[in-house]
This record gives sequence, C-alpha cells and structure tokens, in this order.
Amino acid sequence: MLVDLIQNTLDGLALGSAYALLALGFTLIFGVLRRANLAYGPAIMLGAYAATWVHLQFHAGFLALAAVTIVGAMLAGAYVERLCFAPHGRRARSGDAAAIASMVGSFALWMQLEEIATLWLPKHLYAFPPLYDGPPLALGPFTLRLEYVAMLACAVLACFGLHRLLARTRFGLAVRAIVDQTDGARLAGINVPRVFFLVFALASALGGLAGYLIAAAHEQVTPMLGMWSTLKGMIAMMLGGLGSLPGAVVGGVALGLIESHSQWLLGPQYRDLIAYFVLFALLAARPAGLRSILTRKPTLAA
Amino acid sequence: MDEYALGVLINMGLFSFLALSAYLLLIAGELSFGQQAFFGVGAYAAGIGTAMWGWPLPLAALLAMALGAAGAWLVGLPTLRLRGLYFAMATLAAAEMCRILFELFHWQQEVDGERVGPDGTQGFRGIRWVLEHGIEQAGYAAIVFALLALVLAAFFLAERSRLGATVRMVGEDPELAAVLGVNVARVKLGVAAAAGAVAALGGALYAHHNTYIEPRNFDIMLGVHSLAYGLIGGLGTAFGPLLGVALDIGLLESTRVFQGYRMVVFGGLVAVLLIVRPRGLLDETVVNSIAKRWRERAAA
Repeated sequence: MLVDLIQNTLDGLALGSAYALLALGFTLIFGVLRRANLAYGPAIMLGAYAATWVHLQFHAGFLALAAVTIVGAMLAGAYVERLCFAPHGRRARSGDAAAIASMVGSFALWMQLEEIATLWLPKHLYAFPPLYDGPPLALGPFTLRLEYVAMLACAVLACFGLHRLLARTRFGLAVRAIVDQTDGARLAGINVPRVFFLVFALASALGGLAGYLIAAAHEQVTPMLGMWSTLKGMIAMMLGGLGSLPGAVVGGVALGLIESHSQWLLGPQYRDLIAYFVLFALLAARPAGLRSILTRKPTLAA
Repeated sequence: MDEYALGVLINMGLFSFLALSAYLLLIAGELSFGQQAFFGVGAYAAGIGTAMWGWPLPLAALLAMALGAAGAWLVGLPTLRLRGLYFAMATLAAAEMCRILFELFHWQQEVDGERVGPDGTQGFRGIRWVLEHGIEQAGYAAIVFALLALVLAAFFLAERSRLGATVRMVGEDPELAAVLGVNVARVKLGVAAAAGAVAALGGALYAHHNTYIEPRNFDIMLGVHSLAYGLIGGLGTAFGPLLGVALDIGLLESTRVFQGYRMVVFGGLVAVLLIVRPRGLLDETVVNSIAKRWRERAAA
C-alpha cells in the first residue's frame, strides 16, 4: 500500500516534470507577449515527426533525434510567430482584440500543422526509439524509467537555467523591461519584436525538448501529440498561475501527481475528470492559481 | 439538389447554431471554449426524449433547450466574473468534464424489443424519430433552416433593441456599463443561458440528423471551431458566424477543391485573413458602413 503510494508519487513527479517543461514554454510566451499560442503543441508534434522521419530514414542516435525534435519545433514555432504573433502589433492586454486574433490565427495554424504532419507520415502511429533500451532503474522496491529521470532533471535544469537567463543576462533584462513597460523598453532602445521572436524560439526549444522526452517515454508518436501538449501545457500553466515561471513548475508537478494518484485509485476516465474538475474549481475559487495560495502574495491578475 | 449537397447544407445549418452560441458570448466579451458541451447536452436530452420516452421531437427539443440553458447558467455562475483566457480555460474544463460524464453515462432501456439509450463510449444509437415520421432530407433541411431563421430573427430584434446595445456595452467595457447602472453579472448570466439554449437546440437537431451520437462528437475541436467561425466571419453582425461556417463547411469541405490539403490551405488562409482583418470579414466597421449606405439609399 505504502509502496504503491510512493511509486505513484514517483510516477506522478515524472509525468509532472514533462507537464512542467511544456508549461514553462507556454508561460514564457504568455508572460512576455500576454497571448496564448494554441499552436505550441502542434509545433512540438511537427518536431517529433521530423525526428521520427530521421529515425526511419537513418536510424540516428538519441542525441541526433533530440536535436532534430528541438530544431523542428523551433522552426515550426518561428513560422507560427511570423504569421500569427508578429503581425498583430504590440504587447496587448489579455482579452484584447489583437490577442484574440493571435490566438485564433494560432488555432488555424494548429489545424495546418496537424495536416502537414499526417500528409508527411500518414500512418496513425509510429514507433519512437526509447532513450535507453533496458530494464527500468530499480531503487529498492521502486522502479523509475530512465526517460522519467531525464525529464525530472531537464525540468529542474530548465527552471534554473531560465531563472538565471532572466535574472542575470542582458537578454533577460530586456525581457523583464518589456514585461514591466513595453513602451519604456522600446524608448530605451530595446528591439522589442526581436526579443519577442527570441522568446518564442526559446519557448519552442523547451517544448521540443519536452516533446522528445515524451515521445521517447511513450515510445510512439501520433498526431494527437499536438493537442495533448497544448492542453496539458495550458492546464499546468493555469493551475500554477498564469504568467509565473515557478507557477508553471508547481502546476505541472501538481497536475502529474493528481493524474497518477487518481488513475491508480479510480481509473483513466476518472483521472481526466478529476484533473479538469480541479482546474475548474481552482479557476472559480482562486483564478491566480496554486502559486497565489502557496505564497499568499497579492496578485494583479483576475 | 442531390443527397450529398443536401447533407452538407444541413450540416452547415446545424453547426450555425453552435457558431451563433459562441458569437453571443463573444459580443458579451467572453471567449468560450466550451459551447460544444451544451450542444452535446441538447443532443443527448433530445435523443433520450424521442428514442426512449417516445416524445415528439418539438417537445424533446424544448427539453434540450431548457437543459442547455440551465447547464450554461450553472457553469456561468462561478466563472463569468473571469475574463479572457481564464474564462476560456474554465469553460474548456467544464466542457471536457461534461464529455467524460457522457462517456460514463450508461442508461438503456428496452424499446420495441431493442435496447436503446446512451451506452458510454459506445455512443447512443437509434435516434430515429425523423425517419420514423417519414421526413425526408429536404424536409429536414427545411426544418433546420426555419429554426435557424427564427433564431436569427430573435438575434436581429435583440440587436436593434436596448437589450442588444446593453450586451455590446457589457462586452466592450464592463466597468463603464456597471457605472451606467447595468447589472453586468446578470446580463452575462442571461447571455450565457441564451447561448446554452441555442447550442442545445442545434445539438437536438444534430442528434436527429445523424441518428447516432457519441461523446467524441462533442470534444474540444468542435468548441474551438465554433468559436473560430465567429472570429473569421466577423463580430459585427449575426451573419458573421454564418459566413464562417459557410466558408469552412460549405466551401472547403463540400467542393473538395483542395482534397487532402484542405486544412493546409484553410489554416494558412485564416491566419493571413486575420492579419488583414483582425476582427473578421464582417466586422463592426463594415456592418456600420453597409447599414449607413442602406439608409442613405432609402432616404434618397
């Protein structure tokens, strides 16, 4: 019983770190541009499809596949940025007309990317090589797959890396200046569109990394990966608190733990039901997310 | 007109109800990812009414609309104070919960020696009221479009009235509306309930057109599509969402010009369109200038 409980918590943490990686990219885009990118998941899926194609053609190793996924996701993400975000002007308040136009445009490109992927590799399901072809690591009575260890490590590294990048570098300073005062940042000589583009590229790279690890852990790639990534990333982002990077990690881990425990207790259908119920209840009661409960800091978001 | 074209036409009519439902919330300033839930509630309720209880379709459709309105009111109560992405995600969560509940919903009974009723993920088959009453495709198309015209007429009457102006004001600036004495929460709840009823009516007709429904029909894809129809077609008039539906289902799906590449073309087209016209084809400016020209011509 206790063994199961701890094993489920471990699985939930692993799953949650994948969600956290997805949510970090989502949050980066939302926090800086104040816009939701629905094509975020589909761009990741296209990267994973590119890697699958490379795998089928050349049987490349895992480093090459990870690189192809990340570069593919970045290229697809840059395309989305150019077509749906760059033309719609300056940083907008959430709910503004331009932000809605960006979101609907990104939905249209989601449909497009999904069809491109299925035209490229038309089978419903493709096998994807795992990171490590062997038995899972054993820690006493508990087991943990290597992909999950890698996910945990990547989520922790990405979080610290992002924090350092934003807190310590010139690029981070520019990002923070834009978040605080876009007009002021522009007057100070910051090239705002360029920073937006770089933020998008960075978020897509994080998403690509998450996408590679998820595909390797599931050992398969399907067109559903796009919708799955967008939904899980958005839910984790909203659970943690919109626009907060630590919140994205908290939200991702919370979602992973909720899912693994409710699946074990009640089965897969109830798992999703409970995850959505928690999201709904949290939004109704505390729209600012889990982070606002943990830190009790007043937030401006509502 | 051949059967295939009629089928496409009926589908356009059915999804117009859903698009109008999302449009109604859009002009009240809320972005809903969850209208498909009320479409689904309507489909299930009306199907249960005719196939299991032997009700006539009009009565079952009324039940569907009542349940759709009640459901939308219940979801709106805790969520309508949220704005933007918050509301969108809350409605998404509610709609997905609803879809999963359909998957868990098993309730069958013997009707004429056959087991009828919702059977979880296996869906709900045998909603045959329309066939049993000898209504042909063309007749059903007439019913769908007559009801759609009725809903549109109600929309236009409301748009010209004080109520329509109030709803648009709440959508554009809720703080200002509140200062002017509008009860914003009540207006939004009313709009949400009306939108739920419209979606449920569409769902009831959808169930009786297809005779078979399953939880998967009412997933998030349907919801985002219905929202996109209004935003592509334009938010200036209730014809906007219909134009969006006509472009997607009517033009691209039925003509099969871009066979296999439909979404590649349509997705790109929409993204480019939104750069040129961020508030859709028939936005407020276009609608106002057309209305003005119309009045000038009438005066001359």
